[in-house]
Amino acid sequence: MSTQEAESRLELLQGTLDLLILRTLIFGPQHGQGIARAIQQTSDEELLVEHGALYPALQRLEERGWISAKWGISTNNRKARFYSLTAAGRKQLVKETAKWKRLSTAIGRILGPEET
Amino acid sequence: MFRRKRKTNDFGAEIESHIELETERLQEQGLTYEDARTAALRAFGNVTRAQERFYESGRWLWGDDFWHDIRYALRMLRKQPAFTLVAVLTLALGIGANTAIFSIVNAVLLRSLPFAHPDRLVKIIANNHGVGARDVGLSVPELDDLRLRAGVFEQVSAMATGDTNLTGAQRPQRLELAVVSPNYFSMLGASAHIGRVFGLSDEVPGFAEAAVISDSLWASGFGRDPGILGRKLQLDNDPYTIVGVLPPGFRHPGTAVTDVEVWAASGYRADPYPKPERSLRVATGAIGLLKPGISREQAQARLDAFAAQLRAEYATDYPAGSGWSIEVEPLQESLVGNVRPMLLVLMGAVVLIILLASVNVANLLLVRASGRQREMAVRLALGASRARMIRQLLTESLILSLVSGIVGVLTAMAALHFVQFLPARIPRLAEVQMDWTVLAFALLVSLLAGLGFGLVPALQSSKAEIALAIREGARGSGTSGKTNRLRGLLIASESALAVVLMVGAGLLLRTFWGLLQENPGFNRSNIVIADTRIPVPNNPQLNRYAQPESLNTFVREVLRRVRAIPGVDLASMTTDLPVTHLSQRFPINIEDRPDESRKGLFSETTSVTPEYFKVLQASLVRGRWFEEDDQSGKQPVVIVDESTARTYWPDRDPIGRRLSIGRAATWWNVVGVVKDIKSDGLDQFGNPHIYTPIYQFPEIQGVDFFIGAGPLSVTVRTSLSSASLEPQIRREIKAIDPGLPVFNVRAMNEVIDSSLASRRFSAQLVGVFAVVALLLASVGIYGLLAYTVGQRSHEIGVRMALGAMPSTIGKMIVSRGVGLTGIGVVIGLILSGIMAPMISTLLYGVRPLDPEVFLAVPLILMVVALLASYVPARRAARVSPSVALRDS
Repeated sequence: MSTQEAESRLELLQGTLDLLILRTLIFGPQHGQGIARAIQQTSDEELLVEHGALYPALQRLEERGWISAKWGISTNNRKARFYSLTAAGRKQLVKETAKWKRLSTAIGRILGPEET
Repeated sequence: MFRRKRKTNDFGAEIESHIELETERLQEQGLTYEDARTAALRAFGNVTRAQERFYESGRWLWGDDFWHDIRYALRMLRKQPAFTLVAVLTLALGIGANTAIFSIVNAVLLRSLPFAHPDRLVKIIANNHGVGARDVGLSVPELDDLRLRAGVFEQVSAMATGDTNLTGAQRPQRLELAVVSPNYFSMLGASAHIGRVFGLSDEVPGFAEAAVISDSLWASGFGRDPGILGRKLQLDNDPYTIVGVLPPGFRHPGTAVTDVEVWAASGYRADPYPKPERSLRVATGAIGLLKPGISREQAQARLDAFAAQLRAEYATDYPAGSGWSIEVEPLQESLVGNVRPMLLVLMGAVVLIILLASVNVANLLLVRASGRQREMAVRLALGASRARMIRQLLTESLILSLVSGIVGVLTAMAALHFVQFLPARIPRLAEVQMDWTVLAFALLVSLLAGLGFGLVPALQSSKAEIALAIREGARGSGTSGKTNRLRGLLIASESALAVVLMVGAGLLLRTFWGLLQENPGFNRSNIVIADTRIPVPNNPQLNRYAQPESLNTFVREVLRRVRAIPGVDLASMTTDLPVTHLSQRFPINIEDRPDESRKGLFSETTSVTPEYFKVLQASLVRGRWFEEDDQSGKQPVVIVDESTARTYWPDRDPIGRRLSIGRAATWWNVVGVVKDIKSDGLDQFGNPHIYTPIYQFPEIQGVDFFIGAGPLSVTVRTSLSSASLEPQIRREIKAIDPGLPVFNVRAMNEVIDSSLASRRFSAQLVGVFAVVALLLASVGIYGLLAYTVGQRSHEIGVRMALGAMPSTIGKMIVSRGVGLTGIGVVIGLILSGIMAPMISTLLYGVRPLDPEVFLAVPLILMVVALLASYVPARRAARVSPSVALRDS
């Protein structure tokens, strides 16, 4: 992946990373690298996640009690810290998702139909 | 706050695992390991930054910031050495003064006595309140009643302190002896350093042969001879055997003229004591150990009832009007009672000093803070939180105050070396030391001062408005009106504090100066005194002076020889010197005042040779002086002082009236009235005084058991100094009786000075504090105005350019300084008015609200404020209008 490629990607809006992490974890426990990968893949490589930025976010979510973490072994036998969604995290995800949908709908209306 | 939830290296491991997983994934896509790892690292972004963010997200930064703050604070203080020096010196002065005075207060007032049950030990005091007589002493039957019937004491020990002549050691020496009950030491929980203290074996009706000596007598009299036990010594010619030496720290818990050096045990009820009688008060005092569980208040209540019961039981021994009662006082209180107010006043003064010092440093910090406003604003703009900045500034002030605290404590330690040389007679002074309590106090004062002077400027400057400060800061001014008001408030409070201290000092100094000018009733200059003492052995066989003639011969012989010394004009002898409070006190009976007499009148009685009044140059009001012929066997005569004459014979001529002294039936004729001589101290008055001829000693000796036990003072009028007279007087007395001690050779002026020593000490100390306060306040005013002028020079320049007169500008500056001081002075005067009555016990001849002091202090302060304002005002008046142009 070249720098060129990276620059054409969308930068994440402030605050949306948390939502994406929670969303990714709904499929089960995952480590940091897996989460970064998953976000990139599910967004068809459109979203740019600086992997380094992920960890403070994970740290923050962990402190708020929305995700929990423990060390485990990855599929290819590496030690990794696995994050999983807590009950509180699930509630938060529902809340944030609803909020995000309302927000994007509203913004979509203002911006009008897509010009393609 | 001090433990992270997750270790940093745990986080590092996670990042490493991430990079490896990513590398592996990229390798699967066909990249080489190196390319894959590089790409993984790039995708991760800045690893260090991620770690930093993790670190900060922990929020457990306090510890790191703390050290950072300290380093930064030290750097800031080093960068401004002048500021640091002034601040540290100011604070060190305050903290040092507080520490030094507190260490005295701690040792004298706070620390418990070094005895076994300090809280249960009391002094037992018998009073005849009906005639205003306190501490009249106790008789053997009274002591027995207290011990056996009162029901509040576990133990009671009688005691009598007085002079004794030590012979058989080196040259004859006068010592303070305490005659005590054998249970004295066990009651105090004291044991001997070597040998033993008194015990059951010393329970005798008369005197035991055992003697216990102090550590200092062991050192000075016996060279710390380890084989001291069993050594014989003579006290007033009576033989004693040393059975024990006390540890260095032991001190007799009573007020003695000098520290007790030797203890003897007695039962007070057999030879040499007369047969016990209720009215024969052989013990000068007693100490008691309260039963466990009985508070002092409960004990006092029971003793009040008990005394009433005794008064009823023995109506003849306790005259109706005497109001005889028993009082118990905590032993600590009775030891330090009269120095407590003085020490508290000194403590109050140093508290004011530290307040002033803090206010001054707060002011300095404010000045500095406005200089640093730009720094603060930049830091705020860069995202520092307000709390963080306050903490930084507070750390700086705490460091400042702790450094000052260390300097202050070191200064105080050095000062305490000189405590033992204090002229004031303060009990327990030897116990003054720098202990943990004192250090904790110094730390507390430092921290409080640091917080106090640091908080206000810190809050103030962290409030800096970013944009405004950066803009104004660039121009080098930018103190808001609020800061100026705050500084004004500080200046006013400094003036107020200074006023309080100066009023206190003024009152004490006026008292002291008044006493110096107080007419003692005689001419104090050119008088030299040498004391000697006739022993009073318990065994009459050992008494060389048992016959009245032998005593009179001795006195006449001493005076004849001393008079012959070249340079001596007049020589006399007395049993009591003026202003020393040592006279013997006896009950008296006035023939034509039976009502008062029945209540139990007391009078201070002094025996003198005829020349005594001439040596003193006292004035005779009526009648005649004593004559050589007023001697034993002739009609007993007395001279009374004017106050006594006025009290008892206000409407009659006292000459020819008769009175009796003590228990003897002899009537004494009043032959003269002398103008009052201050006998008990320059600040004492009111006690009746009676003078009797020394040659009628036997008549006096009949009145009480203890007469003649005190020193005899050879009092001469001479142009010579005490130092040059001493060897000659010593030689003459030795020639008459080599067994007699000669001691305390000094000038009358020294006697008077030492009677004022503790007043001089407190007045001078508070005076010094007041000067310091005045200096601090004037520096504060000067600092504020100088700074204001510097800051407003632009504005002043504009005013000048617009035509303001230099004098107007000068007046503006002066009026600000004087105005602020004025506000402070008014507040200070109100505070002083409230506080001055609290020190009224230390005042004599001055009212607490003395108008002169209350006028002079504001005047002095206002003049100083004017002077302090003058320099900045002159500078302001010289600001050139061009400043306005140049600056903008």
